Amino acid sequence: MNDTLEIKREAQLRETARRLLEDGTVGYIIGWGTTRFEDKTAPLFAAKPEEADRLVWNEYCINSLAKYSLDDKYPEKKIGICVRGCDSRAVNRLVNDKQIERENLFLIGMPCSGKENSVCEGCSHKNPVVYDILIGEPVEENTEEKASAERFREIEEFEKMSPDERYEFWAKQYDKCIRCYACRNICPACSCKECYADQYMVGWQGKQNNRAESQVYGLTRAYHVGDRCIECGECERVCPMGLPIMRQTKKMLKDINDLFGNYECGVESERAPVLGEYDLTDRDEFM
Amino acid sequence: MSVEKNWEPKIIAFTCNWCTYTGADLAGLNRMKYPENVHLVRVPCSSRVNPQFILRAFQKGCDGVMVCGCHPGDCHYATGNYFTRRRFMLMKRLLEYNGIDPQRFQARWISGSEAAKFRDTMTQVTAQIRELGPNSKFQEKWYQEGGPENE
Repeated sequence: MNDTLEIKREAQLRETARRLLEDGTVGYIIGWGTTRFEDKTAPLFAAKPEEADRLVWNEYCINSLAKYSLDDKYPEKKIGICVRGCDSRAVNRLVNDKQIERENLFLIGMPCSGKENSVCEGCSHKNPVVYDILIGEPVEENTEEKASAERFREIEEFEKMSPDERYEFWAKQYDKCIRCYACRNICPACSCKECYADQYMVGWQGKQNNRAESQVYGLTRAYHVGDRCIECGECERVCPMGLPIMRQTKKMLKDINDLFGNYECGVESERAPVLGEYDLTDRDEFM
Repeated sequence: MSVEKNWEPKIIAFTCNWCTYTGADLAGLNRMKYPENVHLVRVPCSSRVNPQFILRAFQKGCDGVMVCGCHPGDCHYATGNYFTRRRFMLMKRLLEYNGIDPQRFQARWISGSEAAKFRDTMTQVTAQIRELGPNSKFQEKWYQEGGPENE
């Protein structure tokens, strides 16, 4: 990471944030702030101009911020959000899902050259795809070859295992799951007000914490978000038990790419999810 | 898992009211015999079938699950089975990815006049599942009884 450039970007971010708060363009700005730990940042809500200096920008800014806008659906003034590439796709996701209005948001684009996060390696969109103001110059994107090679590499390797091995792998993973639903709470594609997993009627989601119920939860979650996943990797990051959750959703994305053509969610501002539409010329394998 | 004595495969088939269920009805009218292991669940349309039903069926002890509907283009609701097609193409692959045998979950198009196809499909699928043996994957009961230690 080019440090001087990033420090300059941080100063620019603070200056822009102060200006936006002073002239009342935005009601508050969601960004990243310091914590007690040097190598951690936490989401920061800056509502006053003098708070703008508490915003930070470094390689530890890994929290996804877009979903916080869901808690304030009818804001008095615009909500300012710092968006990296993945956050901007999350914004697109939420706008596509009719969860938030684009007009209610003021997006501060932060070109991001990768954070201390394993998903950043094969990132295909380092620069925000949608923004109102861009801080500094855009950074160089990964080459298409690198991004596409990295994207499904793990999945392809996993598919080479035998069915029983695969089952064993996932069964062991779901044994660990404590069903805290952190993966659901952080996911920009999981925006239902009432999640099926919170229902108490019989037949939705069993509340026993055992392997069978966790498997049903895991697969259902993967299927629910599979065609809308923006590959930000937040689910894996927040999982306290370290389950490789992205491998399920990425498998869905890989199949969608194989079956229905190139598909990347959240890149275009208007696109129906794959499972919400159909094509007469789809492959028919259920004769 | 040791195969219990007189084990019979349990197969659940979600059948669309307008085509496959009518086809099954026609098979009955024509006195065609199909294996009694197949239990039909009538649904208004094959797109009514939530992929979660499949997971739940495996969890509650089914050895095989089928989804049957009208041929694409013949849906009573015009477009329902186009959604089914996309949905279950992905679901099938996701299940396989998680280690379920591809033959345990199948989808078929059977129209209201295809009584013989209905009989043949059900006979064939039952034979396949019988060969595979009881399903222990995703099963609740199997875990409650001790899981892998049973083997």
